[in-house]
Amino acid sequence: MGVEETSPLQERPAPITTSAVLMAASKHIASKCGAQNRAFLDCKRNDPDPERCLRQGQDVTGCVISLLKELNNKCPKAMDAYSKCMDYWTNEFELCRKEQQEFEEACPL
Amino acid sequence: MTEAMLRGQKGLASVKDLPVRQDGPPPGGFPPVRYARRIANSGPSGLAVVLFSSVVIGWGMYQVGQGNLHRRTLKAEKIAARQAILPLIQAEEDARFVREKKKFMEEEAKIMANVPGWKVGENVYNSRRWMPPSTGKIRAEC
Repeated sequence: MGVEETSPLQERPAPITTSAVLMAASKHIASKCGAQNRAFLDCKRNDPDPERCLRQGQDVTGCVISLLKELNNKCPKAMDAYSKCMDYWTNEFELCRKEQQEFEEACPL
Repeated sequence: MTEAMLRGQKGLASVKDLPVRQDGPPPGGFPPVRYARRIANSGPSGLAVVLFSSVVIGWGMYQVGQGNLHRRTLKAEKIAARQAILPLIQAEEDARFVREKKKFMEEEAKIMANVPGWKVGENVYNSRRWMPPSTGKIRAEC
């Protein structure tokens, strides 16, 4: 992989969460934010009222957004290429295996 | 009479003495016509054909099975990805909904301020279960 550091002055923000970006990062989200997801879903199963699960929801949102920001700063090119491939092929994993492999090499799960 | 003159046959008394001209077989007769079957008895035996076709069909079915297993893994991958993303999307929608509902309640309180005995945001159902609003979105943001 080439050099993918950011200059110390400029930190990239989290990418805009399109479906392509989320599907591209889905395996990372499942592994890193699994606990928050589980807590939110358990809260929802107990009581589907949106006002009851706001705190867990905030945890989920915070975890995912910070994860996406971290991925964007560690391996921006690979993530961008994979997201663009997913965007082009409407989130078909099988058609983007090459970009997926490069992404997972640059930013391991 | 004319034939006799043309041919100059000696001793020809009448037409009946003319030599016969008719279409007939060549001398020695025609060669024999083949009408019997001639299906060769060579080539693969029945057992060989059955075995070969069952091998081909069996291999094909095996490939179909392998393909189905592969498709199953692809479907599982897609479902897993959606499961990972679902809480984020639901959480964002919940936050938006709560924001909108608060605005809606404030509107309702303002409108019904002077109506006696009106509880703002009163549940229209008698059970304590959460029911999504039945009259469409709560002031969906455009």
